[in-house]
Amino acid sequence: MRYKQLSILILGVAGTCLAANAIADESLFGYVKGAETLPKGTWEFDQSFTYRDDKGSGEYSAWDSKTEVEYGVTDRFTASGYLKMQSIDMSDLVVDGYLPGNESYGLRPSGVEASFKYNFLSPAKDDFGLSGYLSLGYDWLDKHSGQDKDKYSIELELLAQKYFMEGQLIWAGNVGVEAAYAKRDQLSASRLAGLPEDYDWPTNPEMEVGLNAGTGLSYRFAPNWFIGAEALYETEFETEVGQERWSVFAGPSLHYGGQDWWATLTWFKQVRGGGETYEGQRDNDLHLIEKTEQEIRLKFGIDF
Amino acid sequence: MSKNNLNGLWLLSIAAIVTPAYAQDYLTAAHAQQAIFPDAEAYQPMLLKLNVSQRDKIQTLSGLRQRWEEQKVWRVEKAGKHVGWFIVDDVVGKHEFITYGIGLSLDGHVMGIEVMSYRETKGSQIRDAGWRQHLVGKTLSDPFKLDADVPNISGATLSCRNVMDGVKRLLALQKVALANG
Repeated sequence: MRYKQLSILILGVAGTCLAANAIADESLFGYVKGAETLPKGTWEFDQSFTYRDDKGSGEYSAWDSKTEVEYGVTDRFTASGYLKMQSIDMSDLVVDGYLPGNESYGLRPSGVEASFKYNFLSPAKDDFGLSGYLSLGYDWLDKHSGQDKDKYSIELELLAQKYFMEGQLIWAGNVGVEAAYAKRDQLSASRLAGLPEDYDWPTNPEMEVGLNAGTGLSYRFAPNWFIGAEALYETEFETEVGQERWSVFAGPSLHYGGQDWWATLTWFKQVRGGGETYEGQRDNDLHLIEKTEQEIRLKFGIDF
Repeated sequence: MSKNNLNGLWLLSIAAIVTPAYAQDYLTAAHAQQAIFPDAEAYQPMLLKLNVSQRDKIQTLSGLRQRWEEQKVWRVEKAGKHVGWFIVDDVVGKHEFITYGIGLSLDGHVMGIEVMSYRETKGSQIRDAGWRQHLVGKTLSDPFKLDADVPNISGATLSCRNVMDGVKRLLALQKVALANG
């Protein structure tokens, strides 16, 4: 596992250092999105790695990789395509209906996505920036359990952005809703054999509706360097259990925006959460079934 | 969490820190002065110190904050006569400050603007004479509105806005703090 993770990091360092030519739609934050779009006819390559860690019991760590190619269709309209990958390393953790025991594999493709952003108001030109964001996704691996699960999703968001101090201080805020249709595959006989007899693993199709709201503030403290903080509230409602989960993550972000590339590093800690809990969960003020105690995300972007 | 994993992540921020920042200087103040006032014979430098009251007046006149307490100004002369002002200013770009020089006539018109240092990736068209020409002749009473009387440059909107606003602010500064003659 260590070698696989090292490979990810080498790829990240190489991509970061070999950058060629930059940037308009750069991410000041790891999770909160800005309202700006790419200029017409320009391309950008973005890559993010997210490390998710610790469910309070057993051993759980996972990497999510998201590779994005962005294109400015017009000055106001940006289209993007994504390839998602994930790795997982979970042991000594079984949660009825959610996490069916040990799983370990390296980075493998897990989904694809397309997104479209339309800018209604420019934060620099109109004083207050506002964009609409539409995302369509298809995933074939469940990011929590690592098991096979077909999920079709659509997400709509409003992205706001405001410059203060001539642009030295930047605020961004997002609100969104996501709807998804998901269906799990059956567990293998060998896996079932290792689980308790009454272990429940529903494979009926389920509908999920999620809501999210995020906010972030970033300050340019030196040429090219921004320090910020961001927070994200997420909740999800699901067919069988009603409100399945809610969580608030918050943490600092460090951003570098250079001539040729940008990079953002965010540490995101779950500060409160609720909804479903698992048997024996020690901290009931967090949601630890589909979320972890913390995440670390590195994003970087290169124009070409 | 494995410490090895975290150590790897911090490598990336170190990679960012050690990468040298890009900077591109195009003109010195002397070059910019000659470009705007080619017939001038003398440029008398002065460091203009602005008190709180003057900075407030500049903000009232222009609607823009006068960030700097000191401003580098040159009195431009020809044949011993005062013919204009040359001012060097810094405004916020997307990543770094943009440095430019502006020439003002004694009656408060923009005579010319030269970008002396621009470090952003997008928007190098700000340096083009075609874009800067839209600011020449402006007075404090002009609208100074992007995509109205000054064109926007896509991908560098913040830089365009701040240079344009900077010009308006310096016209207000001239009215508040620079005496002709």
